[in-house]
Order: sequence, then structure tokens, then C-alpha cells
Amino acid sequence: MRYEIRVDGHISETLAEAFPELDHVVISGQTVLFGPVVDQAHLYELLARCQSLGLKVLEMRRLPE
Amino acid sequence: MDPVGDPFLRTRFALPLRPDTFIRRERLVAHLDRALDTPLTMINGGAGAGKTLLAADWAETLGQPVAWLTCDPADRAPGVFWAYLLQALRASGVRTADEVGSPADPSRVDHTLLARLAAGLSGRERPAVVILDEYDLVTTPEIADQLEFVLRHAGAGLRLVLVTRTEPLLPLHRYRALGTLTEIRDAELAFTPEEAATLLDLHGLRLSGAGVRALVGRTQGWAAGLRLCALAAQESNDPETYLKEFEAGQSAVADFLLAEVLKQQPPETQELLLRVSVLDRFCPDLANAVTGQQDAEPRLAALHRANAFVHHLGHSWYRLHPLFAEILRAHQRVRLPGLERELHRRAAAWLHRSGPLSETLAHGAAAGDWEFTARVLVDDLAIGQLFLGLRSDDLGELFSRMAPDADGPQAHLVRAARALSTGDIEHGLAHLRGAEEGTAPDLPAPDTAAVQLNCALLEALAARLTGSPGRAEQAARKARLAEQDVPADTLERHPELPALLQTHLGSALLWAGRFEEARTALSAAVASPGGAATALPREEALNHLALIDQIDGRPGRAERKARAAISDAERFSVPQPSGSGLGQLVLAAVAVERNELDEAQALLDQAATRHGAPDPVAAAAHVIAGGRLLLARGDAPAALETAESAVAAAVSSPWAEQQAALIASAAHLAEGRPEAAAKVLDDAARLHPACAAAAARALLASGRADEALRLLDDVRTVEPGGPAVTVRALLVRAQAADLAGDTVAALRLVVQALRQARRELLRRPFLEAGPWIRRLLAAEPAQELAADWLTQRPGPPAGGPPDGALSPAPVVEPLSARERDVLQRLAQMMSTEEIAADLFVSVNTVKTHLKTAYRKLGVNRRNDAVRRARELRLM
Repeated sequence: MRYEIRVDGHISETLAEAFPELDHVVISGQTVLFGPVVDQAHLYELLARCQSLGLKVLEMRRLPE
Repeated sequence: MDPVGDPFLRTRFALPLRPDTFIRRERLVAHLDRALDTPLTMINGGAGAGKTLLAADWAETLGQPVAWLTCDPADRAPGVFWAYLLQALRASGVRTADEVGSPADPSRVDHTLLARLAAGLSGRERPAVVILDEYDLVTTPEIADQLEFVLRHAGAGLRLVLVTRTEPLLPLHRYRALGTLTEIRDAELAFTPEEAATLLDLHGLRLSGAGVRALVGRTQGWAAGLRLCALAAQESNDPETYLKEFEAGQSAVADFLLAEVLKQQPPETQELLLRVSVLDRFCPDLANAVTGQQDAEPRLAALHRANAFVHHLGHSWYRLHPLFAEILRAHQRVRLPGLERELHRRAAAWLHRSGPLSETLAHGAAAGDWEFTARVLVDDLAIGQLFLGLRSDDLGELFSRMAPDADGPQAHLVRAARALSTGDIEHGLAHLRGAEEGTAPDLPAPDTAAVQLNCALLEALAARLTGSPGRAEQAARKARLAEQDVPADTLERHPELPALLQTHLGSALLWAGRFEEARTALSAAVASPGGAATALPREEALNHLALIDQIDGRPGRAERKARAAISDAERFSVPQPSGSGLGQLVLAAVAVERNELDEAQALLDQAATRHGAPDPVAAAAHVIAGGRLLLARGDAPAALETAESAVAAAVSSPWAEQQAALIASAAHLAEGRPEAAAKVLDDAARLHPACAAAAARALLASGRADEALRLLDDVRTVEPGGPAVTVRALLVRAQAADLAGDTVAALRLVVQALRQARRELLRRPFLEAGPWIRRLLAAEPAQELAADWLTQRPGPPAGGPPDGALSPAPVVEPLSARERDVLQRLAQMMSTEEIAADLFVSVNTVKTHLKTAYRKLGVNRRNDAVRRARELRLM
């Protein structure tokens, strides 16, 4: 399954390295991280990673296959 | 020591020091003061919201001791969490914590310990204040339940403050509804423009009111964001413009500001920060070890003073602010690619000299340096802990990642230990050989000795698992030699090592029937220093001693030992059944002797859930208990099958064979084959009194009374054994006397048997003796001796029959499998003809079976037979 996670603000290339398994695009004051998510545990881990990097999660959704 | 055997990390109990630029915000302190009036307080906010410093500042100025604990991912194990929490209470002077003890098993905590803690706290005049920082790292639901339990029962004696990023799993709604929750959340933690102005002021920045408001808007009052802003702006030439530009930007706040502030640090400080990001906590010396420089001390002090990136934990230990640690790690990977493993390696090397073993191993594993990691484990003689249940899970998990190409004797030993701990003897032995062959002659003596000692331990285990006493003795000799060259203090720290060795040796000797030597080894293990480290081997050794008593026919003694073993192990929260589950098996066999069959079944089921690798001793104990239970339930064919199931081992075991033969003999007898019953005991009958009694009984059943009595007389010279053996011998003599028409002598012998059996509640020998004994038990003085524990008193019963005793008719001969088949069909309302067709036998055969069954059950009618059989749980 694939997810996208929308966080507040533009993130640097360096910080994006903290999500090596995801791609990202920067749009109008937000960054969209997207890519394959293995399972629910991985999903929660991604959210925890956002939190520990001080990122504010605005939206998260599953992408149609 | 904490439950994983490391010293407690003192820094986890220290109130974090507030930096010079810390601002005390009175509105929050006033709110937090309510924590003294409510049992539960929660400070809940994102990373960098200023939670920890708020709580630390409040605690510091409270004017009473506070138990502070910075949680850690290791606290996900309940035993570790509670051990640390209790230690935090002790450190703050709460006496109760001393009295309740401490869990020894990292994975669990005994409920009674929590109850004692709550009771102790509830009696306090002034509540104990406990602050758990970074509680979000404790994700185990079980711990939340346990905290809630203690909180509820400690009443006004405990005030708990949880500092967390995520919603804890406590029933907060209930506390909210009762108004017993003090709650400070993100919105309240956010800086107001006035507070932000004060903070900026402290950093020498003066902004207009509008400027401050804009900044607070951009950062949403986020403490870490404002702090980084101030640090970044401080360094720029035109702070006002700098902040304006930041406000207008669209970057993620922490990401951008951290990069800015990091950029402004001198290159050496940047290097330092990037490199220590792999460490959870560090002192200047450790930081120097990973940077290869000597300047960590002043740099860390300066960073702390400036309130940038690091927390000071006291005792000159630091940690990175958790938020910055994550971002710094991302920077480290980008800027120092490929260095991460090397950093872990350096950290592991430093920790190996001066730090706890578990952290050394964790960094060694993260470095992927398995030869080093295995060597540390072996040098520290910690390999025994792979089997101790206590930390075996953590170590097993860590080494499961070991690279397959890791070489060296130590790596082989780790692989051998892992294989043997899962019962994979073949691979275990192969790796042991690898370790032996790989030990280079130029290895320094203490290293060689450590390898040899660990090798000896594993060889002893392999010997136990394969039932080879010779190999176990060889291993014990090898261990004695190696011990002389191992540093004494290392050996002293590992009392579990000799305890495990003696237990394995004792088990292998026991298997071979060398009871006296086995007793010596096992008693040495039992007598090893108490405490958590040796809890498992002491329990196992004691259970082996219990098994010897049970084989000797002393169920009472066996039971006392097994119970003592289990209750001692429970004191250290060793999960039950532990090891090979031998304690439960011994108790099951004892329960069968007392005809407490459901109890026996429950114990057998319990033993089946054990985690340890099966050894032949436990396998034989399982055959004994299981076979006897099947006999007692009247399922002779299944009992016979169990008795004939072979236990694989290097050498044969005389007692295991005898016990199996006893079960087989009884099964044959129950099926009406007395000749076969006597035959299976042919070899053993002249050696062992229990076998002689059983063989005599079989001979008696085939009408060879003289031979039976001769057999009994012959073994008189042998050590007679315990009551379970002598009672049976007496009953065979009684039966012979009864058959010969000498009722007086028979009665005298039955009375003698009753006297010996009564104290131990040995019911089985009477229940399996046969119908003849009923008449004798009804006669004075046997009646009086049997009353209440074996048979019901004549006359109206006072209350129900005691557990295990039969009611209402006293003794019943077991039904044969065929008779049970017939009765089961009878219970389904089938006619005699239908039963015959269903079982492929003639109508007459069915009638014969029915007649025998009626006689055994003491009834004359079909319905009564079914009812009685059900009452007696014979089907």
C-alpha cells in the first residue's frame, strides 16, 4: 500500500534523508512525503519519526493503487 | 543492579539542569502546583515544547524530594521499568521502595510487588511525587495498567506526573470526569508574545511588539522554535531583518533553524554534535572517543550554557535534546556518509572499558562488528545469560542479527549457545567444535580461559540434552581448569555460570541413574549464592532433586522440594513453567499418586507450555506422569503406548526404563494380561523394589502366588524405597494372604499399608489394588484408618468427600478400554446388538464386557452403570 503524508513547511534535502524510503515534493508551504508503506507498524513509525523531527503532520492518506 | 544485570544508570534519576536562558513561566508553575492535589498529572506536548524543563524546574523548587525518572526504550520491559521506578523512589528517600524488593526478570513484574508498593505508599503522610519524563517511550499497555493499579491503590500517598509526547494508555477520561487529572497540553505550553519577548530579551534581542507577535505566529509559540530563532538571530549581523526573513519563509521550522544554528557553530563543535548523535547519553570522555579529539568538555559545557542542543544530566553526563538528536542524525548521515558504523564501533570500544555490558553489545551490533561483540560477551562470561530467561530474549534478538561470516571462536560460541537454547543439538555441537578448532594458540591466556569456560558450559548443556554423563563430566573438568585462568572478579560477577554447569552435570548424571553423584552436583547448584542471577539454575537443580525423591517413592518430599523451587523462582519473577518444566511434571506425578487427576492434568498442560529445550530427564518425567495419569483414568492402551515411547539419549537410563516398565505392566494387568504384565518386569524385578512389587502383583493375578511372595522376599535386601513403593508391596502381600484365605493376616497388612499411606495421601495404590480390598477396608480397624482421605465415613456424610477421594463406594478397579467402549455406547442408548455391530464383536463378547463392568462398578443395571462410570469420571 502507498501513503502520502503532508507536513507543514518546506523541508530541506538533508532532513528528507531521514525518510530514505519515501519520495517528497515541496508545494506551497508544505512538503508531501509519499511512497510504499509496509504495514500499519511502519505507518505509525513514520508518524513517530515526523514527531521526533519536530514536523507538524497536516494530513495523511492512503493513495489509490 | 537492574534486572538485566547492569548497574542502574544514575543519570536517569537526575533532574535535568536548567540552562541560564531558562525562563520560569509562573502561569505554568501555578497550574502544575495542582499536581499536589490530584493523583495524576499529565504534561503532554510535542518535541521541544518545553515539557521537561518545566517539570524539572517545578520539582527543583517544590521544597520536597521528588522521584524523577527519565524513561528509556528499555523500559518497555515491565521488569526493567519497575526496577527503575523503585530505584527512583529509593533515591528520593521513599522508604517503602526498600521494603517491596525489586523484579529480577526484565520481562515481568510480580503483581504482589505492585500491591505491596501501593499499600506502602498509601500509608504515607505526605505523598510521594513521581515524575516520569519521556513516558511516551514506554509503549507497553501492561505497564500503563500496572501504573494505574498502583495509582488507584496508593490513594493520597502518590502523586504521578507523566511528561509525554503522546497520549498515555491510562483511562484518562475517568480521571477527567472525577476532576482528579491535572493536564497541561501543547496549547498551554506555547509561549505568549510577552513570554517570547522575555526569552528574546535574555538572548540580547529586542524586537517590536509586532515583530514578536509575528515570530510567535510563525513558530506557533513553540519553545524549541523560539529558542533556535534567538540563537540563529544572535549570530547574524542584523537580527531584526534575519527574523523578518525567517517569518516570511516557508521552511519547516525546526529543520531550517537547526541547520542555521548548527552552521553557526565552530566546525569542531559541528563535528562533535554530528558524531555524538549516535549516542543516547555521553560524558566528555566518551564524546572524545567518538570524535578522536580532546575538546568535548569545554564544548559541551558551552553548548549547555547557550541552551543549544544538549541537556546536562548531572555527574558530567549529557544527552542531546531528543528533537535535535533526530535531526542531527539526519545531518550526520548526509555529511559524514559511511561513518555511522565506525562511530558505533568507537562507542562500543569505549563502553567496553567503562560502561555497561548491554550498551557495549548494542553499539557493537550497530557497528556490525560481530567478532568484537561476541568476544565481549564471551570475555564477560555472559553467555550463560542466553539461557537464563532473564535477558535471553534481548541477547537472542541482538545476536540473531549476527552476520553469517563473523568468525572466531567467540562467534562460534554465540552460535552454539543460540542453537542449543532452541534445542538444535546438531548445529550446537558443530559450532562448539568450530570454537575449539578456531581457538588460536596465540590468544592471550585470559581470553582462552574465557572461551574454554564458556565452551565447557555449553558442552555440559549439550551433554544434558543428549543424556551423556561422560561428556558432562569431561565438561566439568574442563571448566575447573579454565576457571583458574579467568579473572576472579569476572567470575564473581557470574555466579550463574557454575550453577548452570552443576545443574547440567547433575541432570546428565541423574539420567544415567547415578543418583548419589547427581545429588552432589545438584546440591552444589542449589547452594549457590541466592538472587536473581542464579534463580533459574537453583530452581532446576531443586526440581531434579525432587524427581529423585519421586522415583524413590517419596511423593511428599518430592512435592515439598518442587513447591519450594517454584515459589523461590516466583519471588524473582521467573516465568513458570521455566526451563524444562520439570517441577510441574514432578508435581503432576505426585497428584496422580493422590488420585487428584484434574490437578495432574492441569500441571501436565502447564508443563507443555515450557520454553526451554527438552532434555531426556524431563522427557522421561513426562512419560511417567502422563502414563500414570492415563492408567488412573483407565485408558490402558494409551498408557501402554506412552510407556513404549522411546526417549532418545546417548546412554540408557535404568530408572526411566523401570518406570516405563511399571506403567506397561499395570496397563497389561488392567487389560487382563497378567502374564505380559509380569514379563515386562522380568529384568527389573530383582533389582528394584517397586518393580518387584508390580511383578509380584502380576504373578498373583496369573495364579502364581508362591513365586510372587518369593520375589518380594528376594528384594528385601535392596533399599526398600519410600512409602509409594512399600505400600504397594504390602498390598500385594495382603492380596496373597487374602487369596490364601488368611483374612486376619491380610487385614493386618492392609492396616500397615494404610498407616504408611495416610500421611502422604497415597490413594492410587489402594484404588488400583482390585476389588478384593473393598471388603478389607470396610473392616475394623482399616475402616477408621481409611476414613475421610480414602473412603467416606459410613453413615450420613458431613459435607462433600475430600478432594481426590472417591464417593460413594470406595475403591474401583479401572475399566479396560473395551469395557469403556461398551459403556460409552451404552450411554448413547445403543442396544447390545447395536454395540456388537459397531465394535465388530459378537453379542456375547459385549455381554461379557458388560458383566465385568457391572462388577467393577458395583451395579446391576445399565442406567446405573452409565451413571456410576460418569460419577467416577471413568468415561
